[in-house]
Amino acid sequence: MTLALRKLSRFVWEIPREGKMRVAGRLYVSESQLAALRADQALEQVVNVAHLPGIVGASLAMPDIHWGYGFPIGGVAAVDAESGAVSPGGVGYDINCGCRVITTQLHVDDLRNHLHAIVAKLFAAIPTGMGAGRAIPRLSPRELGELMTRGADWAVARGYGAGPDDAAHCEESGRLPGAEPDWVSQRALERGADQVGTLGSGNHFLEVQQVTEIYDPEAAAAFGLRTGEITLMIHSGSRGLGHQVCDETLHELSRVYARFGADYAALPDRQLACAPIGSELGQRYLGAMQAAASFAWANRQVMTGLAVRAVAEALGLPETELGARVLYDVCHNIAKFEEHVVDGQLRRVLVHRKGATRAFGPGDPRVPEAYRDVGQPVLIPGDMGRYSFVLAGSTGAMTETFGSSCHGAGRLLSRTAALKRARGRHIERELAARGIEVLAKGPRTLGEEMSEAYKDVEDVVDVIAGAGISRKVAKLVPLGVIKG
Amino acid sequence: MRLRRPVPYEELDHTADAGVIVHGRCKEEALARLVLAYADLVTGGAPVATGADRVVEVAPGDLAAVAVDVLRELLFRLETERWVPESCEVVHFDPQRGARLVIGSAPYDPVAHADGLVLKAVTLHAARFEPEGSGWVAAIVFDV
Repeated sequence: MTLALRKLSRFVWEIPREGKMRVAGRLYVSESQLAALRADQALEQVVNVAHLPGIVGASLAMPDIHWGYGFPIGGVAAVDAESGAVSPGGVGYDINCGCRVITTQLHVDDLRNHLHAIVAKLFAAIPTGMGAGRAIPRLSPRELGELMTRGADWAVARGYGAGPDDAAHCEESGRLPGAEPDWVSQRALERGADQVGTLGSGNHFLEVQQVTEIYDPEAAAAFGLRTGEITLMIHSGSRGLGHQVCDETLHELSRVYARFGADYAALPDRQLACAPIGSELGQRYLGAMQAAASFAWANRQVMTGLAVRAVAEALGLPETELGARVLYDVCHNIAKFEEHVVDGQLRRVLVHRKGATRAFGPGDPRVPEAYRDVGQPVLIPGDMGRYSFVLAGSTGAMTETFGSSCHGAGRLLSRTAALKRARGRHIERELAARGIEVLAKGPRTLGEEMSEAYKDVEDVVDVIAGAGISRKVAKLVPLGVIKG
Repeated sequence: MRLRRPVPYEELDHTADAGVIVHGRCKEEALARLVLAYADLVTGGAPVATGADRVVEVAPGDLAAVAVDVLRELLFRLETERWVPESCEVVHFDPQRGARLVIGSAPYDPVAHADGLVLKAVTLHAARFEPEGSGWVAAIVFDV
């Protein structure tokens, strides 16, 4: 597909509205990123999303955009909360896939001789990969219902935590109030019952990291980030429970969405199937999706408790001596009701963020008080061989992107291309030579997830910073990695 | 006719996810190959033991949707019952009746199959199941 693009500024490009597009497309990318994108189907997906009923503003793409299914990964779409449509494909199968950073008062020198033991303890404590379960005892349907209502706080109440304010330091305080556990099917409960506290696979990971650079001292101080100190980063989601919620809704929707009207019937990709927000099916999905989102927060919270315990055991210290606390926890696969200014007017919209992170700016009352002066922490994982970033939300995000930012490096190579490039190499040893200890279920994961498979996340965050969407605060470099 | 692994298939070169393309002389053969290609992905091509026959039935729909539903069911059973297909016989497969398959199952082994892909879901994106020349072709993208 050849698209005529209009350059709006150094990092902002427009796909003009044409045909049945309801809004234009808008891309936040550099020239070189755009050149690479032309070989991908992601741009076509930005156009497809612009057909969503009720979409307002523009169909947005962040600099980590790549080919997804239905929505591109790195896509943002806000629809009117009354007349718009909710699209499960705009959230993704891994509902509330997200990222959290836990700061500690440990210095890198405290860890050097214990890294192997720490990574081994983490790998033993947190199940990874296919069939991973039983990090904690299997939960009954009643317990799962309670967990999906309380989210992160459910896990904190059971002793899985880092500090006293873990849940308060999660986006939405680690639970969505619209959660309706009763709308989560028995099959979804069955998949999720023994998966609380498990990492998953693919690009999910837990890293032990070192803060190596501070770009914004004021924000870094507010976030508790100091050069040389150790952080933990967890990237995971709602596991099989969330996958099943999305899968079942899409299955049902794909057969009926055309009946919601001509706008729905004309959608260019079945994977974009959606329902009016106010419809029975739309409401059912929103209730179940929000319950799955709360499940994901509980999942990351349980892993936080298990990880802090594992690190303390490896170091032979009491947990309290780690000085661990949750810096923040963001979701990057979600749809949330928020108020934003659209065409000069405050409107309630449902913001779909599919591989995009909320990035509210300074002064926003929805940002935890401790961070309100500097903007919310925006956590951007990179690849396992290079670095990740902590950014801060800015006012630019509020006016341009419905308070949204990028979510990661974005893949550069397909999995098959990455495996070809990894053939004959020992990725584990290559990482070890660079001081990074990694443990994964199988060599395939390491090949698929090697650094070269991803864009340089620094290029991604530099575009976001250059476009005024978020500010760079700190760089985190991996020392130890566990993967599925 | 019962097919056994390995079967010929191509891996789709999707940026973030994974997919397969299979061909068959008839639509039933293409569906059976799709099932066994899926098994190859999740086991990393490692051999599996032979186990009990299991029946999988899915509701009517267009052929691509029915094929997606067959794989959805297999993925659910993998996560909850921990088995993968070793052989496959398609009893019927058409838009009016949906599909009925008898699948020779094998236990999923997290160690032996550690090189397999962990699939989150079977997507409708770019799903196709259609005649091509004198045979049939099917393509499915999985969320990884």
